[in-house]
Amino acid sequence: MPSGALALLILRVLRADALHGYAIAQRIHILSSDVLRIEEGALYPTLQKMLLKGWVTADWGVSETNRKVRFYRLTPAGRQELDDQVAAYERVHDAIQTVLRTA
Amino acid sequence: MPELFRRLQYLLHRRRLERELANDMEAHREMAARAGHANFGNDLHLREQSRDAWGWTWIDHLLQDLRYAARSLRKSPGFTLAAILMLALGIGVNVAVFGFFNLFVLRPIQVRDAQSLLRFHRRGTNQYAFAVPYPEAAFFRQNSRTLASVIGVNSTSVSIEGEEKPEEARFVTGNFFRDLGGSSAVGRTLDPSIDEAPAADPVLVLSNGYWRRRFAADPSVVGRTLRVNNRQAVIVGVAAADFSGVGGALHDPAFFAPIVQQPYFVEGSRLLTDFSIESPGVSLWGRPGPGVTPSAAEEELRSLAVELRRQYPDSIWENERLPSEPGGYLSAMVTGNRRGTGTEQRDPIVPVLALAGSLTLMIFAVACGNLGGLLLARSVARQREISIRIAIGAGRGRLIRQLFTESLLLAGLGAAAGVALGSTVLHALLAYAGAPAWADGSPDWRIAAFALTAAFGSAILFGLTPALQIGRQRHRANITRHVLIAAQVAASCVLLIVTGLLGRALTRVAFSSPGFEYKQTIAVSSDLARNGYSPARSRAYLNALEDQVRALPGVQSVSLALSPPLGHVTITTGTDVEGHHVEFNRNHVSPEYFQTMAIPILRGRALRPNDRHVMVVSDSVARSAWPGKEPLGQTMDFGERFTVVGIAADVRNLKFGATETGAHAYFPIEEDQWPNLTVVARTAGVPQELAKAVAPAAGRLNPAIRPTIELLSSAFRERMGDVELVALAVSILGSLAQLLACFGIIGLVSYAVSQRTREIGIRMALGAKPGQVLAVVLRRLVLPVTIGLILGVAGAAGLAQFVRGRLYGISHLDPAAYAAAIGFFALTAGIAAVLPARKALRIDPLRALRHD
Repeated sequence: MPSGALALLILRVLRADALHGYAIAQRIHILSSDVLRIEEGALYPTLQKMLLKGWVTADWGVSETNRKVRFYRLTPAGRQELDDQVAAYERVHDAIQTVLRTA
Repeated sequence: MPELFRRLQYLLHRRRLERELANDMEAHREMAARAGHANFGNDLHLREQSRDAWGWTWIDHLLQDLRYAARSLRKSPGFTLAAILMLALGIGVNVAVFGFFNLFVLRPIQVRDAQSLLRFHRRGTNQYAFAVPYPEAAFFRQNSRTLASVIGVNSTSVSIEGEEKPEEARFVTGNFFRDLGGSSAVGRTLDPSIDEAPAADPVLVLSNGYWRRRFAADPSVVGRTLRVNNRQAVIVGVAAADFSGVGGALHDPAFFAPIVQQPYFVEGSRLLTDFSIESPGVSLWGRPGPGVTPSAAEEELRSLAVELRRQYPDSIWENERLPSEPGGYLSAMVTGNRRGTGTEQRDPIVPVLALAGSLTLMIFAVACGNLGGLLLARSVARQREISIRIAIGAGRGRLIRQLFTESLLLAGLGAAAGVALGSTVLHALLAYAGAPAWADGSPDWRIAAFALTAAFGSAILFGLTPALQIGRQRHRANITRHVLIAAQVAASCVLLIVTGLLGRALTRVAFSSPGFEYKQTIAVSSDLARNGYSPARSRAYLNALEDQVRALPGVQSVSLALSPPLGHVTITTGTDVEGHHVEFNRNHVSPEYFQTMAIPILRGRALRPNDRHVMVVSDSVARSAWPGKEPLGQTMDFGERFTVVGIAADVRNLKFGATETGAHAYFPIEEDQWPNLTVVARTAGVPQELAKAVAPAAGRLNPAIRPTIELLSSAFRERMGDVELVALAVSILGSLAQLLACFGIIGLVSYAVSQRTREIGIRMALGAKPGQVLAVVLRRLVLPVTIGLILGVAGAAGLAQFVRGRLYGISHLDPAAYAAAIGFFALTAGIAAVLPARKALRIDPLRALRHD
């Protein structure tokens, strides 16, 4: 996975509602039709960076397994970042596609 | 910015956030396990990876390293103590010297806004003077617009009732305390509106030091009257202890008084009206107004001088300028009342401190060398520990960092100990010198920064090399060791040679003849100026006194001098002769002086009565002013030209200082000098008895005048005490360096032996004789020691060359001093090398071969 893509995916799956770490990994796994598998070693450092940047916040909640765990939620800054990153990604993606089709 | 803020919050709440992160990841695992995905990653490592994102792991590592370093230093107290001691000594002596430098050059004096203060000198086309005639200063004070305040300070020696010796009075312009921000401890300070008013009462403000010394800090002195030069004056206050004022160096005067009162205390003084260069004048200080640059102020003073020259064309010089220098530092104060023609030479405070500094830097170098040796030896001892740590996965970078942290910890401890040692020495020296309370030698940020720089510099230099070698698991210790030995040898060689040179110079001062008769001579100072005598009256009195003394039994010769040898007054004059600067002590004497002091006239003639515009110079003046030329008949320009009529032998004032070059010039007495002359007399009998007989003889002339009678032999002994003190300090430094160097060599040689135990064992098993074994150990020392010696001799010669021009009696190529220093060094270094090398002879070949 290209670097930076994980942050984009996390931002995207958090857009609808707040999720805890395992749920984020699961959601990406399912939505990618079992292609993308996010390891802890990648997920948690990325989440820490996003917290620092202020894109997400973490609040205590209770998981579906009845365990106290932190839920990550998108901040307005994070929402803005998501829009920017999606727009940038689509532009690059279209450009690559154009090159692949026409060259 | 908000990101930085959040980062800081993460630092502050690290523990809680770490728990939360751990909980998140634990929950992740539980849920993953429930879903059937086992995860085998090391969770500790994963957590650390995540925390890395916060950017604070280096603090954790640093704390870890520090804890580990402290533990490992505690475990080898011998090494730790030795290393800290080395650093403390090396840094301590430098802190003491730097403390003096700081006090004189870097730290502003204790007055308000010292940085903006300027000190002005006078400079004409071909003349200079540090003192400014008071009327000129007063004119500036009245008319300057660029200077917010103009302050003039005059120091005069006075006699105070109840004091045997003369004391210094500082006569200051009325704005002195107000504009320098000086407050009073009790009573009031001077106030220009009261104390400079016409018909103001004579008042005194005691200096804090004198108040404590004389009146035991009694606050009730305010309002009392004190007799100064037999004149009454009221004490109106005492200056605060933390106020340095301006105009003196490391001492307080007895009191401050308004300068307009100076003629009241000193009868016949023309200080307030005399424009001439002969007037003692004032040192001139000023503070530019807001937004005014020093050069703008100089420019204005220059145009004011031009204006004043129209009224006083004889007294204000042509093209007179008043260049300024920063005045808020002690170094600006020590420039005395010197004057002359041509370019002035500055007082040598900075060169002298630089010399002391370069000597103590050598001690630092030797101490650093020892530290390097200690660390190197320790690194070998720790090889096994390091290997184990690498084997269980310690990263190389982390390992180097850890070892380096250990050096930094040592450096920090060493710096702290060094500052403590250095400031103790500094305090002791200041207390010994009787420095006033405001001359505070306690460590400030500059001293702390200096010590830390020195400590970290040494730690980086000597801690990093072994750390890198260990980290790479590669040993090039041999080269490092050789460099260390060479550096130590060089540094201690420089110290030994220079201390040898200084020591010999001091011995020469102490044991060779000063060039004049001091054992049989007395000096009689009548202080006529303080008793209100005019020049004409003084002349009559002194001529009568001369006759009285001449009539006493045993007296061989009597004469007069303005500044008798070994006296407290020396007048230094400088002038340019054929393009180079010559500086000497100036004396005005009566013709018989050379006979009285038994100073031989080498060529030409002595002074004669009624001589005018002639001078007798000492041999060294003649040689430095006109090298290779006939000095008789040459002239020197002091405003007027003086012709050399005779060459006298060199005499010395026996002061271990800059002006001590044996250079003297003798001039005929000038009319206005009569009140300040001293009678010198030589007797064939016992000088003590002559001294006893002089007092009644003087009493017959005028009972009111009680002259100070001094035996030159006791003044001589007093001076020798100072010289011995300097010699003591120098030899302490030298032996300290030598001791350190020996320790270093012992350490490095025993390290070499321990490293080569196996090789030596094999050699012994194969039948090597003890001499051969020793040779093996010591042979490798020969090259670095030789290189060190060569470097040391070269360095010492360079330093001595630098010193020679500044300190009396030092020759830069004194073969005996060099030979003695090198011989002594070779001897001690040899012993230091052989002692540990003998260990090699006791090696048991069997055990050595089994040695890992």
